[in-house]
Amino acid sequence: MTPLQTLPEWAATAPAIVLALTGLALLLIDTIDPDSTNNGLLAGTATLGALAAGGIAAWFLIGGTGMESTGGAISLYGDALVVDGMSLFFTLIFTSVTAMVTVASYDYLADEEYQGEFYSLVIFAATGMTLMGMSNSLATVFVSLELASLPSYALVAFLKKDRGSIEAGLKYFLIGALSSAVFAFGISLVFAVTGSLVLPEVAATLAEGTELVGVLGLGVLMIAGGFAFKTASVPFHFWAPEAYEGAPAPVSAFLSSASKAAGFAVAFRVFTVAFPLETVTAIGGGSVDWSLLFALLAVVTMTLGNFAAATQENVKRMLAYSSIGHAGYALIGLAAITVDGGAANGDVLGASMAHLLVYGFMNTGAFLFIAMVEKWGLGRTFEDYNGIASKAPIAATAMTVFMFSLAGLPPFGGFVSKYALFYSAIESGFWWLAAVGAVNSALSLFYYSRVVKAMWIEEPSKPLEIGSQPVGLYVAVIFAAVGTVLLLPGFQPVIETAQTVAAALF
Amino acid sequence: MSDWIAIGAMGLVGVGLPLAMMAVSALLRPSVPEQGKSATYESGEVPTGTARVQFNIQYYMVALLFLVFDIETVLIFPWTVIYRSALEQGASLATVLTPMLVFIGVLVVGLVWAWRNGAVKWVKSPQASRRKTERKDA
Repeated sequence: MTPLQTLPEWAATAPAIVLALTGLALLLIDTIDPDSTNNGLLAGTATLGALAAGGIAAWFLIGGTGMESTGGAISLYGDALVVDGMSLFFTLIFTSVTAMVTVASYDYLADEEYQGEFYSLVIFAATGMTLMGMSNSLATVFVSLELASLPSYALVAFLKKDRGSIEAGLKYFLIGALSSAVFAFGISLVFAVTGSLVLPEVAATLAEGTELVGVLGLGVLMIAGGFAFKTASVPFHFWAPEAYEGAPAPVSAFLSSASKAAGFAVAFRVFTVAFPLETVTAIGGGSVDWSLLFALLAVVTMTLGNFAAATQENVKRMLAYSSIGHAGYALIGLAAITVDGGAANGDVLGASMAHLLVYGFMNTGAFLFIAMVEKWGLGRTFEDYNGIASKAPIAATAMTVFMFSLAGLPPFGGFVSKYALFYSAIESGFWWLAAVGAVNSALSLFYYSRVVKAMWIEEPSKPLEIGSQPVGLYVAVIFAAVGTVLLLPGFQPVIETAQTVAAALF
Repeated sequence: MSDWIAIGAMGLVGVGLPLAMMAVSALLRPSVPEQGKSATYESGEVPTGTARVQFNIQYYMVALLFLVFDIETVLIFPWTVIYRSALEQGASLATVLTPMLVFIGVLVVGLVWAWRNGAVKWVKSPQASRRKTERKDA
């Protein structure tokens, strides 16, 4: 293994640099001949770029970049960026989802215009997400959050002739702009209290004590609100069902897997590094107990997401509410953090990160299956999915894998990740969080199996015609299914890496 | 007393005085609406048609691109200010120049793409081009 000390320090951000260069390359490819689009070249470049960035992140992670064994986290550009294990782990999540989405988009966009714009927007959003994982300063958090969000607004409204897409894009954009404003105001309040935007310096200033506990509390609440928007947690989840339903299905996959994970990456880092629980609960005369806040948010999000999903008739909307529910499960990672938790804090945060990785695969796969169904023009409700298994058994099997994995049933990756998450929550003393999670998982099995039942057992009301076998979509869906299945035996290295990198934050 | 009271008083008077003048005069003056009084003022000309003119949508693209490059200009200014002193204090030309070249390069790629894809082409709506040819023929 090449000694990483020989590379200059700025090369630690190589995944982000590769993604940015890929985005610019896509724009240049689109410039060559403005009147025609080479869909294959664009999709290929985007996928290669995403895979290259993911490969570099995996290489860095295995080589121990940014971890204690090689000298600790790498801080760059005046503490604006930090490259440590957690940022590399999340980069893996983003790039794997991006690669699956770009491969699937090759088929989905085959008849659309503006293909070059689509791929470059996806890659720029992925660059923003990678930078979100690496941000060490509230200013960088804000800028990278916007870099990840603005292309997403355009991507949701991509189908310019489809009213649902435009409406979804407008709603997403308006709510997103409002949340960014709230987030920026929260950052300004924290700056007013501490005088610094760099996360470790904020923590150091708070450790010295401050009288402005109310202002700090309000700032922390508003920052939490901004993150709750990005991760589609209650009470800022209202944009999610609309955006996921109206957007083109690969974009829904991208948003619900990668964008959500990016929101969690930055929430984990800001709350554990800038507002460490032992500092903010013992400050001045008051206490800013954000773990209680997140526990509340987690319970409400899980419950609302799952109960709302159970009442839906539209499969895409059901998946949208289910992804809100999964955001609730991942919030357990922040909710179960205690002041004297020690190693248990790293365990539960790492379990939440591992769950986001597994979730990336199964959720992307589910939405890409919906993309396939949209391509076939079969419709959007559960009844329209009747009998798909007789015409497309491989795709239906993959969808069954995704549904049961999302519900947390045994032989798939979703089971171990949820088990690890609930187990580490119990180890931290939050048995009631795990109980709520388990009850919600059991409930979710109901609506996930509705899809499976429709595909395999029900008879279609009129004969199904499935015209083509779109290669790109098939490759992406099967890759996601294989990943979901392999993450059960392969979960051990994932959870160990995640828990090690999470422990480095405490 | 706090010094800020003076600012508050100025703000209050600044808002209140014009409002009070308008309110008092509206109460005191007789109301005699006439066509000559309520017509739009057009510097002495007789106004024809409404003021609602449809602007060419191309101005939106111009404004968008202007905004991007204006912000780029603003962000270049701090760099130019420290450029000479950074070189004098021993930073190599590469470390001072390269980040700004990368920044401008990214925006140039965007500009080339926008140019080639017709963002700065002056387009007219079909209705407007028809009207132009009609007026030319007339």
